[in-house]
Amino acid sequence: MITIKKLSKIFRTEELETKALSEISLNINQGDFVSIMGPSGSGKSTLLNIVGLLDSASDGSYQLLNQEMVGLKEKDKSKARKENIGFIFQNFNLIDELSVYDNIELPLIYNNVPLAERKKKIEAIATKLAIAHRLKHHPQQLSGGQQQRVAVARALINDPKIILADEPTGNLDSKNGNEVMELLTDLHANGATILMVTHSDYDASFSQKTILMKDGMILSEKMNNRNVDVLVANSKN
Amino acid sequence: MLKNWINIFIYHLKNNKLFTALNVLGLSIGIAGLIFAILYWNDEHSYDAWNPQKDKIFLLTNEMSENTFWASSSAPVGAAIKEKTSEIEAYCYMDGDYINDIIKFRDKKIQSDKIVSAQKNFFEFFPFDFVEGNRKKALPDENSICLSEELAFQIFGNESALGKELTIQNKKVLVRGVYKLDKKSSYNPSCVVNFVDLFLKKTITQWGNFHYVLMIKAKQANATSAITRNLEKLYYTNLTERFAKLNGMTPAAYAEKYGVPQPHLESLESIRLHTKTGGLVEGKGNYQFLLIMVGLSILILILSIVNYVNSATANSIKRAKEVGVRKIIGASKANIVQQFVLETILITLFSILLSLVIVELSLPYYNDFLEKTLTLQGSQFYLQLVIIFIVTVAVAGIFPAIYVSNFEVLNVLKGNFGRSKSGVWLRNGMLIFQFAIAAFFIIGSYIVYSQIDHMNKKDLGFKANQILNISYRNVYGEEITDDFRFNRYQIIKNELLRIKGVKKVAGGAFVFGKSVSTSSYKYKDIEVDGSNISIDFGMLEMLKIKLAKGRFLSPKFAQDTINTMLINEAALKQLNEKDPIGKKIDWNGMEVTIVGVVKDFNLGNPGDPIPPMSFFHFKTVPWLAGALNNIYVDVDAQQMEQALTAIQKFWAKNVDPDYPFTYDFVEKEYKRSYSNYVKQKNLFSLLNVIVILIALFGLFSLASFSIERKMKEIAIRKTLGAETNVLLKELSKQYVVYCVIGFLIALFPTYYLLSKWLENFAYRLELTIYPFLIGFIVLLLLTLVVVLSRAYQATKVDVLQYLKYE
Repeated sequence: MITIKKLSKIFRTEELETKALSEISLNINQGDFVSIMGPSGSGKSTLLNIVGLLDSASDGSYQLLNQEMVGLKEKDKSKARKENIGFIFQNFNLIDELSVYDNIELPLIYNNVPLAERKKKIEAIATKLAIAHRLKHHPQQLSGGQQQRVAVARALINDPKIILADEPTGNLDSKNGNEVMELLTDLHANGATILMVTHSDYDASFSQKTILMKDGMILSEKMNNRNVDVLVANSKN
Repeated sequence: MLKNWINIFIYHLKNNKLFTALNVLGLSIGIAGLIFAILYWNDEHSYDAWNPQKDKIFLLTNEMSENTFWASSSAPVGAAIKEKTSEIEAYCYMDGDYINDIIKFRDKKIQSDKIVSAQKNFFEFFPFDFVEGNRKKALPDENSICLSEELAFQIFGNESALGKELTIQNKKVLVRGVYKLDKKSSYNPSCVVNFVDLFLKKTITQWGNFHYVLMIKAKQANATSAITRNLEKLYYTNLTERFAKLNGMTPAAYAEKYGVPQPHLESLESIRLHTKTGGLVEGKGNYQFLLIMVGLSILILILSIVNYVNSATANSIKRAKEVGVRKIIGASKANIVQQFVLETILITLFSILLSLVIVELSLPYYNDFLEKTLTLQGSQFYLQLVIIFIVTVAVAGIFPAIYVSNFEVLNVLKGNFGRSKSGVWLRNGMLIFQFAIAAFFIIGSYIVYSQIDHMNKKDLGFKANQILNISYRNVYGEEITDDFRFNRYQIIKNELLRIKGVKKVAGGAFVFGKSVSTSSYKYKDIEVDGSNISIDFGMLEMLKIKLAKGRFLSPKFAQDTINTMLINEAALKQLNEKDPIGKKIDWNGMEVTIVGVVKDFNLGNPGDPIPPMSFFHFKTVPWLAGALNNIYVDVDAQQMEQALTAIQKFWAKNVDPDYPFTYDFVEKEYKRSYSNYVKQKNLFSLLNVIVILIALFGLFSLASFSIERKMKEIAIRKTLGAETNVLLKELSKQYVVYCVIGFLIALFPTYYLLSKWLENFAYRLELTIYPFLIGFIVLLLLTLVVVLSRAYQATKVDVLQYLKYE
């Protein structure tokens, strides 16, 4: 699904040249749940932003669904983004001035989904994420966990091919954080592809594969056992 | 999508009530100002615009001397030029003034002050629609009259007017047509008679007697140069050559010494606003004032649009996150632009609606101010309204929208956008622009105010607090002699003097604030164009006009009714004669002795230079006495009321039973004559207040915004021990700089435009540095008040709140 080859990102200021990413190669297949870990400044957020088409690479190749993304025009990027990618942020990034319903509706609007279908879809996903009773409220009236569930609902409403999560539990207490991680695990179990940046080992343990980054390079990749546990747990059910 | 946009728009509306209200108010005031200007513009441009041949009909004007244009022409020129020039289709003579007279129908008497006497093809030049009769056969002879619908209704009610016999000026006339007077025109007569041919015949050989308005209809609109060329030839043969011969000079020498009239053509469509003459019967439009109105209102609209743009871009920082999220989720730039333009469209719609309300409510005052009857209607007006709407949206909406749509998603989401410098130069640039406009208005209105004050305080050279000017309708007609006229006046005067409270009575053929006829006279080799003022004994003394040399006219001297005159100081200056008393001059072929020189006083506009004047007793120049239409009466202030009642009674009974008794106080009447400048002053003051309010609001919102962004900095400085006054200085420093830059930018245009305006006045202020100095101080003080109040508030804020968050 995602093929990254020798991808580099260089920030230039007048005196300084910083390599945020240097020649990274990475493969993410359909149905993978990958987490990226690393200290501040290791380049993990930059990588996520490039994958999410919010930022552009300086060199190398990034293929999303076998289509080259490096060097694409803003307009095409915007199109690829709205069709394929769903975002979940640490600080939720909900529009405070819009109701929950309106927030979730936005991606559908920009994808020109007809009104009746929009309504059906929003109600379905709200029920699924247990926020149906909150649709008319504004984000500020919700708890952190609920806000993140709204953000997840918004990320999923368009059936994206891949979900990008940037420290999704960073602003949440452990109970709410756990809820969100379990939500992601459920999504993965149902076939979603997820790429997550996190600081927390615990959160990373929910994923299949953890990539450790430092100074713009990938240090190690390891498979997580817990995943097996989940599968076992699933099979037990 | 629309619903989503409107939801968020309403949310912001609710949460920024004050700013939204101020924005809408600012825009609507700006738009209202422009609507006012447009209504005025449309009205002035509607004169003769309906006339299908407006570009082919020309007024013959005569340039008598440099910058002096007369709208009147001599009697022989019309036929002569038509014969000589194949490009001319027709010509038509008409009176230069409306006649005020009484029309009789059986026992009914109707007074009308808009009667026009014209040649029979008048309605081919002004093709009003006829409701009765036929336009082509409307005025076949001098026994015909055509009535406007209104006048016809006044006389005949709902009966048909056609074929009825009326009496006017002791002549019987038949109604041949009734026309509709629903369009604005250079001539809007209540009725038209064909008496002018008679007078034309009498003066058909007098090329130098410019008495009638002559309209020429050309076959082509571009025939002017051919016609003018032929006119020049005619003038040369019949005026220059002839008068040169009479004076025993060569034509060239005569023209050099005395000047000869130059013919010009003004097209009908240009007369109302662009004529160089004093205008036709309906007066001319004040083009300069119109331009000032339009210019200032556009300036105010720009100011309020700048305000809107400024506060929209400043506020958009608050919406950066929304824009970022929308973009991540899939909104394209175009989507964002559309959304923000929609918001401007909604705001502009509100503003236009509100401005229409403002205009509708204040239209009566505006009409009063312009002395017009403007209304909010017409397809042209609505079209212009749509254009205003589109332009406002384009200017006010597209810029902030594009600015917002260019937000970098990553910057926004990282949260370090609030302190970015993007757009700062632009907002500051616009702030400087606002300062410049505000400086222009403050300085400008100060200068305008001073000039009007200067004029009001001017020693006018006469005193007329309690002097009445009674309109006196002189008697005319074939059989009426000058002696008869004078005796009639004398009887009235004596009767008036008997009324209790009346101190002095004197007739005069002049009115303060209005022009009089001029005649040129010669002394040695100098020619002076003097304003003719014919008076009764005691007139000048009554007005407390002072004497510079010699004596006033007096009944004690027999020659004062035969061949003496007074001049004023302006005339004396031109004559260049140290001892003018007793000198003889050649006045219109008559030898007249100067017996006195009066000090200059204002008869016309106090801003204009005082012209040379010649004063005669009525009997000295009998034909001037024909213009004796005013009797001035000095009344004791204590007995004013009774005296007025008594005069009125006497008047209605013995002088003029037909006409209503009309009078005015000389001083009031005079002040009215230059009221348009007083109005300009008031208008400028009003606009000044509006502009300053809008500019201060812009400054307020921008300062609030920029201080809000600096709160963290302020908090840090405070924790580090900065004192309040240091902080205040820090915060207000930049605005003082912008204020100075704005002022400097405004300096030259203000100086230039106001000098231009002051050129209207011969008696004017010298532009000194003071208005600029005062303007600068006022601007600076206002800036400091706004900024410091805002900054002071900021320094009092709880430090912790800003250090904890962010």
